[in-house]
Amino acid sequence: MRYAIQTIGLSKTLTLEGRPLDVLRGVDFHANDGEFVSIIGPSGCGKSTLLNIIAGLDSPTSGVLSLHGRAGSARLGSVGYMQQKDLLMPWRSVLDNAVLGLEIQGVSRREAVSRASEHLGRFGLDGFEASYPHELSGGMRQRAAFLRTVLAGQDVFLLDEPFGALDALSRSQIHRWLTGLWESMNKTIVLVTHDVDEAILLSDRVYVMTARPGSMKTVQRIDIARPRSADMVTTPRFVDLKSALLTSIREDAHAHEIAV
Amino acid sequence: MSAEMSRRAAPSTKRRWIEAADERARRWLPALAIALGILAIWEALVWALDVQTWLLPAPSDIGIALYQDASLLWTHTRATLSEIVVGFGLALACGVGLAAAIGLSRTLERAIYPFVIASQTIPIIVIAPMLLIWVGYGLAPKVIVVALISFFPIVVNMVDGLKSVDRDMVSMMRTLGASRWQVFFKAQAPTSLPYLFSGARVAVAVSVIGAVIGEWVGSSEGLGYLMLRSKPQFLTERVFAAIAILSALGVGLFATVGAVERLAIPWWRATRGQRANEI
Repeated sequence: MRYAIQTIGLSKTLTLEGRPLDVLRGVDFHANDGEFVSIIGPSGCGKSTLLNIIAGLDSPTSGVLSLHGRAGSARLGSVGYMQQKDLLMPWRSVLDNAVLGLEIQGVSRREAVSRASEHLGRFGLDGFEASYPHELSGGMRQRAAFLRTVLAGQDVFLLDEPFGALDALSRSQIHRWLTGLWESMNKTIVLVTHDVDEAILLSDRVYVMTARPGSMKTVQRIDIARPRSADMVTTPRFVDLKSALLTSIREDAHAHEIAV
Repeated sequence: MSAEMSRRAAPSTKRRWIEAADERARRWLPALAIALGILAIWEALVWALDVQTWLLPAPSDIGIALYQDASLLWTHTRATLSEIVVGFGLALACGVGLAAAIGLSRTLERAIYPFVIASQTIPIIVIAPMLLIWVGYGLAPKVIVVALISFFPIVVNMVDGLKSVDRDMVSMMRTLGASRWQVFFKAQAPTSLPYLFSGARVAVAVSVIGAVIGEWVGSSEGLGYLMLRSKPQFLTERVFAAIAILSALGVGLFATVGAVERLAIPWWRATRGQRANEI
């Protein structure tokens, strides 16, 4: 089996004010081709550092990271990465923001615009291509940022708490929308979140990380049939999975408190 | 949502224009009132104390001079304005180029920035006469003085702008495969534009002073030259007329840069307005 992403014994040590700080220690993680995987864990556990390393923005201190079975290759540009902020450029219209990745790749303007136009409808941005980011709602901005990521054409996406700033209603809408999109795209998605419900609703598997130095503590397969919906949160299986995950997270938080 | 957007975006052009004119009038009215107030007091004092015109002309004397010497003043205004425009243009070109070099390379920053700062400690009033000897008597020395005085705020502001780029935005671009140059042109340069315009507004205002200094030390035309020549002739009202024109030039150039800014970076005003509304 060739994984879309695999890390073996990945560690990261930073030097903060002259003292070494272990951020990640021995992270073993993988995501299959076309899989939706979530990572949850206490804040400051190094989730974002892990995503930065996978995206190629940062490099591990030790350990192996491979994409599609290739280790050590240059990763920048081959992994789509959506951060917490939408990072839309205020001087670009929605359309111009969306085609940024294609523009960087040297795709002709006409071709880029035609590819973007095909997707505007699915991203709920029809009629807003000429609007500027400040004219959009938070949910629309997130979708525009996601369209930019999708158009760049990478087959692995890292999402770092992209829905944190949205209210509950737009969140559940964007969950349904994201699931639909993922099912039709055959892309691998790694989602970092602190919302256990969100992780269960969206994922095939959920990893739980320990407090710093972060490593993978447990991984839970989510065997709830798709399509899933927000009202499943009260079904027995959902509740079981949620309590298992919460127990795993709490144990660690508790152990961390004692250690400190 | 879309209906609301289109309604907001489409008030009739004429109404928008009237609203804009109304808004503009309200913005300028306080300044105009203060100016008229000062002029009125000035006029009254000159008349009441019977001050000699060569010592301090009344606003009405200056007004008469502006009217009677209109063609003379216009000739010299044109000379000064062309010094300012060419000098400011030179400052803009050099300033943007230097700022880009500083923004692109740490090494260049360390190499160039100290000299940019040091250039501001040069006493221009001492250098200006030497420029006459070095580059001759024509337009060149004035243009150089204007450029020397006005390139500094342009460089400093634009360097700050280039550095203020959102680091996460740079990361995002790198994950899309962007090169250093693409990051510079697509993220850093647009981010720096509002800063550049702030610098340019300051620069264009001080460039008026630069032109006068340049003319002061040696010239045969321009408002600075006219003032220098009129003073010993006790044509004080003409000196003040020239000062009034210089002030108007400063305000006009400042407003022109502001107008270009509004056209060039409309997104800046819009996002700034949004931030102000949130407060």
